[in-house]
Amino acid sequence: MRSEPLLQLRELTQVVNGKRLVDGLSLSVRPGEFHGLLGPNGAGKTTALRCLYQKKMPTSGEILLNGRPMADYSRTEWARRTGALIQENAPLHGLNATDVVEIALLGMRLTPAQRRRRVHEALDLSGLTEATDQQASELSGGEQQRLHLACLLARDPEIYLLDEPTNHLDLHYQLRLLDAIRDRGRTVLATLHDLALASRYCDQVTLIDHGKQVDQGPPLDVLSTDNLRHTYRVQGSVSKQGLHLVAAV
Amino acid sequence: MKSAPLTLVLPLIALGLAAAMLAGVFWGTAAISWPDRWSILLRADTAPRNLSLIVWEWRMPRVLLSGLAGAALALAGVLMQTALRNPLADPYLMGLSSGASAAAVAAIIWLPGGLVEQLGVPLIAFVGALLAFGMTLGFAHRPGRGMTPLIVILAGVAVSLMFQSVTAFLLYFGDPHATRNALGWLMGTAAGSRWGDVPLLATVVVILGIVAMLGRGVLDTLLLGDERAQALGISLPLVRLSIYSAVALLTALTVANLGIVGFVGLIVPHMARLLVGGRHGGLIPVAMLAGAVVLVLVDLACRLLLAPEELPLGVLLALLAAPPFIILLRRVNHAL
Repeated sequence: MRSEPLLQLRELTQVVNGKRLVDGLSLSVRPGEFHGLLGPNGAGKTTALRCLYQKKMPTSGEILLNGRPMADYSRTEWARRTGALIQENAPLHGLNATDVVEIALLGMRLTPAQRRRRVHEALDLSGLTEATDQQASELSGGEQQRLHLACLLARDPEIYLLDEPTNHLDLHYQLRLLDAIRDRGRTVLATLHDLALASRYCDQVTLIDHGKQVDQGPPLDVLSTDNLRHTYRVQGSVSKQGLHLVAAV
Repeated sequence: MKSAPLTLVLPLIALGLAAAMLAGVFWGTAAISWPDRWSILLRADTAPRNLSLIVWEWRMPRVLLSGLAGAALALAGVLMQTALRNPLADPYLMGLSSGASAAAVAAIIWLPGGLVEQLGVPLIAFVGALLAFGMTLGFAHRPGRGMTPLIVILAGVAVSLMFQSVTAFLLYFGDPHATRNALGWLMGTAAGSRWGDVPLLATVVVILGIVAMLGRGVLDTLLLGDERAQALGISLPLVRLSIYSAVALLTALTVANLGIVGFVGLIVPHMARLLVGGRHGGLIPVAMLAGAVVLVLVDLACRLLLAPEELPLGVLLALLAAPPFIILLRRVNHAL
């Protein structure tokens, strides 16, 4: 028997300056599912995710968590149950790596010992044990991405909302951190550009283009030669062996 | 540079403040012997009455008010730099000082002396500062889109320029004697402080200091970026508006009491950040104490350097506050 969806988007629409950045997007994510939100640049993936972490209120449509609309949750309760990895440049002046992870634990009822343990484990998992006292602003792009992933791992929310989680990461950390998230068995909604990673990690994917839903289903079904040609404008194929690209079309 | 432990820095600065305040009370234009200083301070029967009056009625409120103003400006500076995530932000960014200046200068130059006496320049300056603050927020607010930090900064600059031109006009065409008075006020001075000025500023500084400390976790999240703070459940418009209002109150009250006191709100938060890092749990108390130390010492120097003449605070502040900051900057590699 299939479980009820944990997260649902129903006809989600986001209009900015008259432009429909997300246009009637509907998807369901079941508990423990790794769901990929795929599409080319400007497809509306990040905009959809922004609605989920309360950056923007959708113009229309519904977002449900455990069958209850987002509006039924207080801002803090929603933030406690979801966690987002966000692509945002912030200078992080005056903060070391440990500070950043500790700050991200805001609103969590933890004892100081639990707090320390979570911070330590998350930094360790992200390969930043050596950098705990280092100024966050001095970390490289990849290290900062790992630091923000460490924040999420320390919070360990029910739902991970990941916007391009593998940005700036080398291959080792791409696999190590996505494995870590998957192994926790949490529910994940992630925007991904790397289709090989999408086919490796996602149970289900939703392909969107120009804000509209193109296809939905298991990654190998959705990432068909036709969809790659029409949505990504590339000639190629995705199989269990990985991504095989021929040329841009 | 690794941040120093708070448990070391905080007592040291508190000790420094106590020493600075004692110095502010002990030294001044009137020479007082050491035995008299202690007897006056401890209100002994042997204390000379005239010197007691100088210490308790002139120096004491002045030192307290300078310390409170320093703490207020430093707290306002920390809050502004955090809210706008801009290291160059200071408490006057929203046009508060320009509004206060224009109102005060207009009152000093234009209004009949009796009326100014009755209303008091501080109250007029306070109203001017709040008027400028209201205008900045009004210009920055865009219906449905809120207020982004950049728009607030630009609106503040526009309001500042507008009031600065009003002030310049008034000074240029004003009566020379009144203009000199107005210029003295513009450059800031703690002269003439009275006990009656202390309670209001003290209450506001203590209450807002406590509120800021209670909200230190929320302030910390702003350092991670707007979207991350929102994802952590922070209502940015509400938090920012609260911060702007707190800064307006702290700054307007300070300006009303001491005139325009620059640099403290900009530089002291950076000095504190270099000492204890950017987390607000340490930054707020250290910045407030350091702000108090700086202003008490600078006010003392203003009284002593050209005694019996007094220098305005603004003249010395830049001169005395900038070098330690530059030395500190040179010793770190992660500043700004």
